[in-house]
Amino acid sequence: MKINILKIGVLLLLLASCKSVKEYEKIQLNDPDMSLSERDLDRYKSAFQSYREAAAGANGGKSGGGCGCN
Amino acid sequence: MEANLEVAVAVIKQLMKTIKFIFLFVFATSLQAQEDDNVYKKKVLDQTEVKLLTSYYSQDGDNASVSGGLGSEELTHIASAIVVSIPLNEDDVLTIDANISAYTSASSSNIDPFDGNQPADPFVASSGASRQDVWTNANVSYTHSSDDRNFIWAGNVSFANEYDYSSIGFGGSLTKLFNEKNTEIGLKANIYLDQWSPQYPIELRNGIGKSSLAKDDSKDFNLDNYTIVGNQTYNTSFSNFETLNRNSYSLGFNVSQILSQRLQTVFLADVVYQEGLLSTPHQRIYFGDIEDSFIENFQLANDVERLPDTRTKIAIGNRSSFYINENFIIRSYYRYYTDDWGINSHTAKLEVPIKIGTNFTFYPMYRFYTQTKADDFYLYNEALSTSEFYTSDYDLAAYDAHQYGLGFKYYDPLGQFNLSYLRLKSIDFEFNAYERTNLNFTANIFSLGFNFTLDK
Repeated sequence: MKINILKIGVLLLLLASCKSVKEYEKIQLNDPDMSLSERDLDRYKSAFQSYREAAAGANGGKSGGGCGCN
Repeated sequence: MEANLEVAVAVIKQLMKTIKFIFLFVFATSLQAQEDDNVYKKKVLDQTEVKLLTSYYSQDGDNASVSGGLGSEELTHIASAIVVSIPLNEDDVLTIDANISAYTSASSSNIDPFDGNQPADPFVASSGASRQDVWTNANVSYTHSSDDRNFIWAGNVSFANEYDYSSIGFGGSLTKLFNEKNTEIGLKANIYLDQWSPQYPIELRNGIGKSSLAKDDSKDFNLDNYTIVGNQTYNTSFSNFETLNRNSYSLGFNVSQILSQRLQTVFLADVVYQEGLLSTPHQRIYFGDIEDSFIENFQLANDVERLPDTRTKIAIGNRSSFYINENFIIRSYYRYYTDDWGINSHTAKLEVPIKIGTNFTFYPMYRFYTQTKADDFYLYNEALSTSEFYTSDYDLAAYDAHQYGLGFKYYDPLGQFNLSYLRLKSIDFEFNAYERTNLNFTANIFSLGFNFTLDK
C-alpha cells in the first residue's frame, strides 16, 4: 500500500514538473486525432464489448448499468 | 429517542448550511455573469452539430448462455443514432443523443425452442417472438463552461427500454482545467435504476408441467404434450426471482496532462457498485449431479443462472496520444479491471491514424483483451445443484480475445457538400473483426458516421 502511494506521488510529481505548453504551441495537440476521448464510432464497439466481456469502465464512457449486459 | 432527535437536528442544520452555501454560490455566479455580459466570449460551440451514426454487428459461436453454455450464439444487430448538440449561448450546450437498435438472435429465440416447425435444438433458431427485440434509448445532457473555460459542469438524464428491460439514469460531472489548460481533472457520477421483466425459459414458467403462456407467443406450452427422453421424472426446485430491479452507482475520476507539444495522456478510474438482480433470468443452467432430461434435441433447464446480488467493479486505465509527424499519430490505451466476482482483466489497444493529404485519414487498429473466469462460472452441464451461485454464461469464462480494425475518415473542412441545411464536416467508416482464441466465438462490426453542422 505504501509503495502504491509512493508510486502515485512520484507520478504526480513528474506530471507537475512538466513544462507547460502555451496555447499557440498546441497546434499538434489540437489535431482531432490526438483527442484523449473515444471516437464517435467507438460507441458501437464499446456497446458490444460491454455485452461480450466482463470488464467495463475506465474508457471515458459508460461503466455499468443501463443495459442487461455484464 | 433523544439522541436520534439530536442527530436529526444536526443533520437538518448541516442541510440548511449546505442549501445556504448553494444559494450564495449560485447568486455569486449569476452576479459574475451579469458583470461579464458585455465582455466578448468565443462560443464553446459555434454551430449546431448533427451526427448520424449507424452500425451492423454479427456474431456466431457455440456457447449460448440461454441454452446453458451449449448452442448457437448467432446474432445480428443493427443500430442507429442521431446526436444533436445545440449551443444555447456562449457557455451552454444541450446535447440530445437518441438511439434505436434491433437484433435477431438464435440464442434468445431458444427461450422457447418448441415452435413446432422443426425438432427443438440449441443449435437451431426458433421462430418464437423472443428471437428479436428492439432497444430504444435517449440521453440528454447539459454542459456549462465558465467564462475562462477552466471550469465545466454537466448534468445528464437517460432512458432506455427493451422488451424485458427498462432503465432510467442520471448523473453529472465536474471538470477543472489549470496550468494554462495543460492539466485537467474530472469527476463524474452516474446512477442507473434498471428494471427486469423476466422471461424465464419456457419449461420453467408457471411451475413444471403446467400450462403456461409463452412470452408474447399466442400458444400454451404444456410438458405433458411432449415426450421426455433421459430423466423422465423431470422436476426442478426453480423459483422466480423476487428482486427485479438492478441499481448501478458509478464514480469516475480522470486526470489528463499535456507532456509536450506532441504528447498528452489521461489516467482514468471508475468504481461501480451494483445491487439487485444481476443474473439474467433466461439463461439456463444444467446441473452435473442431476440426470439430464431432453425434449427432442433440447435439454430442459434445471434452473436459471444464480449470481450474487451485489457486485463491485474497479477499472483503471490510461490513454495516450503521440503526434509523430503530419502523417502519423499513435494512440494507445490500457485498462486493468477487477471485481469481487473473481474476474481480473487486461485490455490493450493501439491505433495509428495515418493522414493522406488534408482530407483522408486511415485508422488501423489492434486490441487485445484477456479475462479470468468468474468464481461462479461452470462449463456446460458442470454446475452443482448444491451450490448457491452458478452461471454458464461464457461471457464470464476465462478467455483471450483479439480485435483487428480498419477505419477511414473523409474530412471536409470547407463543408463543400450540403444536404438541405446540413453542411457535411466528415464521413467515418470502420470495420472490426473480433475473435476469442480459446472459445469458438467470432464477431464482425461495420460502423458508419456522418458529421454535419447546421447552417442557420
